[in-house]
Amino acid sequence: MLFALIKKELLALIRDVHGLVALFLMPVLFIIIMSLALKDVYSPAVKTLPYVVDNRDNGQLANTLLTEWEKRHGKPQTNITNWSDEVKSGKLSYALVIEKDFSKAIAAEKLTGEIQARLITDPGLDGSVFAANKAELNMIASELRAQVLLTSSLMAQFPPRANRKAPDLPVTVSANSLVDAERLAAGSRPTSVQQNVPAWLVFGMFFVVASLANLFLQERQCGALARLASLGVPTSMMIWSKALPYLAINGLQAALMLAVGVWLMPLLGGDALSLAGIHWGALMLVLLAVSMAAIGLALALASIVRTHAQASAVGPTVNILMAAIGGVMVPKFVMPEFMQRLAEFSPMNWGLEGMLAVLLRGSDMVGVLLPTAKLMAFATLMVIIAVLFFRRRAH
Amino acid sequence: MLLIRNLSYCYPHTEKPALAGVSLNAERGQILGLLGPNGAGKTTLISHLSGILQVQQGDISIDGVPLAVARHNSPTRIAVAPQEYAFYPMLTVTENLECFAAAGGLGGDRKRQRIGECLAFSQLERFAQIRAERLSGGLKRRLNLAIALLPEPELILLDEPTVGVDPQSRAFLLDAVKTLANNGAAVIYTSHYMEEIEAIANRVIIIDDGKVLRDGTLNELLNDGVAHVRLAVEGVIATQLRVLLGRFGPVESIGEEWRVMLAPGQTPTALLAAVEEAGGRLRHAEFGRNNLEQLFMTLTRRSLRD
Repeated sequence: MLFALIKKELLALIRDVHGLVALFLMPVLFIIIMSLALKDVYSPAVKTLPYVVDNRDNGQLANTLLTEWEKRHGKPQTNITNWSDEVKSGKLSYALVIEKDFSKAIAAEKLTGEIQARLITDPGLDGSVFAANKAELNMIASELRAQVLLTSSLMAQFPPRANRKAPDLPVTVSANSLVDAERLAAGSRPTSVQQNVPAWLVFGMFFVVASLANLFLQERQCGALARLASLGVPTSMMIWSKALPYLAINGLQAALMLAVGVWLMPLLGGDALSLAGIHWGALMLVLLAVSMAAIGLALALASIVRTHAQASAVGPTVNILMAAIGGVMVPKFVMPEFMQRLAEFSPMNWGLEGMLAVLLRGSDMVGVLLPTAKLMAFATLMVIIAVLFFRRRAH
Repeated sequence: MLLIRNLSYCYPHTEKPALAGVSLNAERGQILGLLGPNGAGKTTLISHLSGILQVQQGDISIDGVPLAVARHNSPTRIAVAPQEYAFYPMLTVTENLECFAAAGGLGGDRKRQRIGECLAFSQLERFAQIRAERLSGGLKRRLNLAIALLPEPELILLDEPTVGVDPQSRAFLLDAVKTLANNGAAVIYTSHYMEEIEAIANRVIIIDDGKVLRDGTLNELLNDGVAHVRLAVEGVIATQLRVLLGRFGPVESIGEEWRVMLAPGQTPTALLAAVEEAGGRLRHAEFGRNNLEQLFMTLTRRSLRD
C-alpha cells in the first residue's frame, strides 16, 4: 500500500512540470546568481570602488598618502570635471579630497583641528564600506604623521641642534582630527533603514504579480471573462479595471512601508527613515513608475500563463530572480562587475535606483527621469504583450 | 429571429471541421432544443453566437442583420448562460448582479430595477447577500441564469443549465426557461437530458460531427422513428426466441428483455400471437415509437466520443 501511495506521489510530482521547475530550477538559479553576486564578499579580493582624487595640496606628504591609498584601492578615475555630480548620482563611490595645507598640518607638532583630508561619498554608499574607508584613511594619515614626527624627533637628537630640548607638551600622533568622511547627502541621513525600505518596498510592490495573475486566471477559467466580453466590454476596459485597483494597492503598500520606516522603526529601537528634504514629486514619480512596471508585468504574466500552478510558480520566481539580480537581496556594489551590468537589466534595479536617488541623494524629477523612463517603457511593453495574449485567452 | 446558413468552422491546426454547413433558425417565443454528443459542435455554435468566434464560412443574422453588426450595435441582445458558473465566487449574489449589470450597460434606476426583477425571477432574494461560493449547485445555476437575463436579451443561449442540480431546482429552471419563451424571448437550450428537451422544446436539432442530423418539431422527429415492440418472455429458450422474433424485424437484446424494430407490414398483434403460439408467457410488453433518447442514440450511434 505504501509503495502504491509513494508511486502515486512521485507520478503526481513528475507530471507537475511547473512544480518541478520551482523545486529544481529555482535553487539552481539562486545558487548561480547569489554565488556570483556575493563572489567578492566571501573572497576578499581588493574591492575597488570607482573614486576620484581632488588634491589641492602639492606637498610631498599628500602625494605619499595618495600613493598609499592607490595601493589599496586602485587607480582613481581621471577626466572627471565635476566630481560632485558624479558622486551625488552614485556613478563615483567617493572623492578623496586633500586640502591645501595637508602636508603642513600632518607634520605639525600641534594639530590645528582643521580637516585636511576628507572622503566625500555617494549618499547611497553602504554603511560598512563608508566606515571602513574612513577608518582606513584615518589609519594611513596617522601612520604618515607618526613617521613624520618620529623622523623630526630623531633629527632633533643630532647636531647642530643637539642641545635643543624635546618639547615638554605631549604630541598627538593620531591624525583623527585631520580626516573626516561625509556623504554627499541632501538633507537625508544614511541608515540601514534608509537603504532597506526602498529595496523591500520595490520588492513588495512587484508582488502584486501573483495576486493579479491568480485572480485573472480564476476569471478566465470560470468563464466570467468571456461573459464580460460577450456583454461587449472592451479589452482596454478590462485591462484598466485590473490595473487601477492594483495601482491603488501599490500606493497603499508604499505608504505603509514608508510609515513603518518613519514611525515604527524608531519605536523598535532602530533608526528612523528620514523623508526630510526629499523631493516628493520625484518620489511619487518613481513609485508610479514602479507600480506601472509591476502591474504591466503582472498583466503580461497573467495573460500568458494557463493554470494556477503556472501562475503560482512563475510569478514569485520571476520576482525573486529580479530581486536577486537587481540589487534588492544583495547590494549591487558588492557584486562583481559583470553582475552589476546584469543588474541593470532588472526592472527592480531601476526602481531601486530611482528610490535611492530620491531618498538618499535628494534627487529631483530630473534626477529620476532615467530609471522612471526605463520602468515606464518596460510597463508599456508588458501591457502590449498582455493585450495580445488577453484577446486570445479571454475566450 | 436568428438565422444560420451553412455555417462552417475549423479550429487552427485541425483538419476536421468543428462545424460543417450548419443551418438553423430560432424564433421569438420558442425554445430550440440543441442536442448532440460531446464534441458534436454545440459549443462551437454557441461560441459563434456569443461573439467569441468569428464566422469563417456561412452567415449568421439577427432579424436580417449580420451577427457581427447586430452584436456591435447592441451586444446585450444575445445572452449566454454558460455551463460553467461564470460569475465571481467571492462576491455576493447582489454584487455579482451589480457587476454584470454595469458591464451590460445598465445604470441608475434601470439597473436597480433589473437586479430586483432578476432576483425575483430566479427566486434568489433570500440569498442576495450570500457570497456566490457558498451557494448550493442549484442556486449557482439560478444565479448564472439571473446574470444572463439582466440586460433583457432577445436571444438566450442556455448551455446545459441543469447540470448537477436536484430535481426541484431542475423543475424550477425548466419552468423559468418556459416563462422566458412565453415572454417573447428566443431560447436555445442545450442539454444531455433528453427528457428536459422533450419537456420544454418546441423544436429540436440534433447535431453530430459538426452537421445537423435532424431538425424539426418533437412530434416530427418522434414520428420519424420506427415502431418497435419491447417485451420480456418466459418459457422459450433465448436462441429460439431470437429466431422467432427475427421474423418480425431486427432484434436487439436488452438485459432480459428484447426489442424488435417492426419491419414494414408487421404488426405487434401478430408478433405477440406468435410468441404465445410458441409457448412463451409474456411478462412485460411495450409498443411504441422511438423516444428522443432512442432516436438520438440511433442517429449518433453508441460509440463513445470522449
